[in-house]
Amino acid sequence: MKLKELVEKFDLQIQCAAHRLEREIKGGYVSDLLSDVIANGRAGDLWITLQIHQNIVGVASLKNLAAIIIINGRQPEENTIEKAKNEGIPIMVSKMCAFELVGRLYNAGISGTR
Amino acid sequence: MKLGKIKEILEAKVIVGASLEREIRMICACDLMSDVLSCVQSRFSSLLLTNLIHPQTVRTAEIAEIPAICFMRGKEPQDLTMDLAKKNGIVLLSTSFSLYEASGRLYKEGLPGCSEYREAK
Amino acid sequence: MTPYVKAPKIRELGYELKVRDVMDRNLITVQPETPMSKVRGVLRLNRISGIPVIDKGKLVGVICVEDLVNWLMARADNCSVEEKMSKNVVTLYTDEPLIHAINKLEQYGFFHFPVLERENRELAGTITREGIIRGLLKKLEIDYREEEIRHYRASHVFEDMIADKTSLIFQYYVVGQDFNRAGESASALKKTLKRLGTHPEIVRRAAIAVYEAEMNLVIFARSGEIIVKVDPNQIRIEVEDSGPGIPDIEKAMQPGYSTAPDWVRELGFGAGMGLNNIKKCVDEMNVTSTIGKGTRVEMYVATKKESVSYEVKGTG
Repeated sequence: MKLKELVEKFDLQIQCAAHRLEREIKGGYVSDLLSDVIANGRAGDLWITLQIHQNIVGVASLKNLAAIIIINGRQPEENTIEKAKNEGIPIMVSKMCAFELVGRLYNAGISGTR
Repeated sequence: MKLGKIKEILEAKVIVGASLEREIRMICACDLMSDVLSCVQSRFSSLLLTNLIHPQTVRTAEIAEIPAICFMRGKEPQDLTMDLAKKNGIVLLSTSFSLYEASGRLYKEGLPGCSEYREAK
Repeated sequence: MTPYVKAPKIRELGYELKVRDVMDRNLITVQPETPMSKVRGVLRLNRISGIPVIDKGKLVGVICVEDLVNWLMARADNCSVEEKMSKNVVTLYTDEPLIHAINKLEQYGFFHFPVLERENRELAGTITREGIIRGLLKKLEIDYREEEIRHYRASHVFEDMIADKTSLIFQYYVVGQDFNRAGESASALKKTLKRLGTHPEIVRRAAIAVYEAEMNLVIFARSGEIIVKVDPNQIRIEVEDSGPGIPDIEKAMQPGYSTAPDWVRELGFGAGMGLNNIKKCVDEMNVTSTIGKGTRVEMYVATKKESVSYEVKGTG
């Protein structure tokens, strides 16, 4: 599935890098611990997190993740958006909590294993 | 859903706890303890899915009255974490799935998250 | 699993109680050479359905009502117990959890089991269905009464004291930077408030607020103190530390704003939701801070029935 389809299907608010939504999503990963994502995130993953700190962009870029979805309707910090723009990492916000969003993504065919 | 059934779905192993008869009504998937505290309400009897195996995870469960925690990716906690769980009667499980995969599987079986649970009431 | 032990509390007790706690220690036994004609009398006299057979101190079999009936029906000549007893006896050890006994009774459909000491395999008693039920009921009653008494004593503290105004003060000392022990004060306060008979939602809100404040203290300061004053109408909580102080309190109150170091974030804290969480849990909150000196957080939770809201305000 492409990022673009997700945005419509799950009512995600795009914060930046809207031009990079053609990318295919390979899988999903949920974590609020940056070290865990650095160790276990895989290229093309959709990363679901509560963290809004600018360091999330660095991690996503390092691991070549497809996008970041921030949950519980939390708004990313300004410098996080700024950094994500420069790095070309799409950041989206969902009103749902992690469990519910992941459940729906999972039902839509985005798996956590590959 | 009974904790025992959840253990089967997650192919999890029991680290601390004798009985898996407890009824779980809601799931919280989270690594940030402040968010766990504000999401979960005691009378909802939740299971916490988390990557954190630190004693503070159990402490948070104790304060928020969460009866059970499942750790991800086969992580097993240190003795201090286990002792704290035993003392407070909190069940600890460990699954080899990631937080994403575990959440997906439980959601598919019909368990709600915190906001859906509130709406359903 | 055992089909009829579904109640979690009973299952818990099944693990907590040992076979020795509920077994019948009144040992009625027969020897292998005892004649069958005497068995009926022993069973009737003691109102039991089976008798362990002992030879030189060791259990060698069990003779039960069914064996006796079979022998009577066959109208055979009198013989020794040894010839009619069951020799493959299912036994339990005194130190096994009671749940094993319950499971075995269910599994074999028997009414009683001999119980052995693990060390010397000598007969220590017998366990029966009635014994198990009696033991569980007794334990439930003891637990219930102990809880009642404890709860009663503590929750009537305010009524029992004679004064124009009564309040209780609890003081907790917190060591900074020690992440393993962080939260001990919140945990202790929670148990204390429960014991005082405080409403569970009030206990919860106070515990969350103190836990968040305690975490902040542990993260940023070297040491501090939590003073809780409980009176019949409210709980007043004061958390004071000798840490670096907060430069901009207004900013610190914003959800998501944090100056916590990365190692703290990796432990699932310091994401900037702490003060915000406290605010949601308490009825009133004041933060004062002096750079280089320390921070003081003062919180109030109303406990008087008419002014209490039992919900944590808003959602995460």
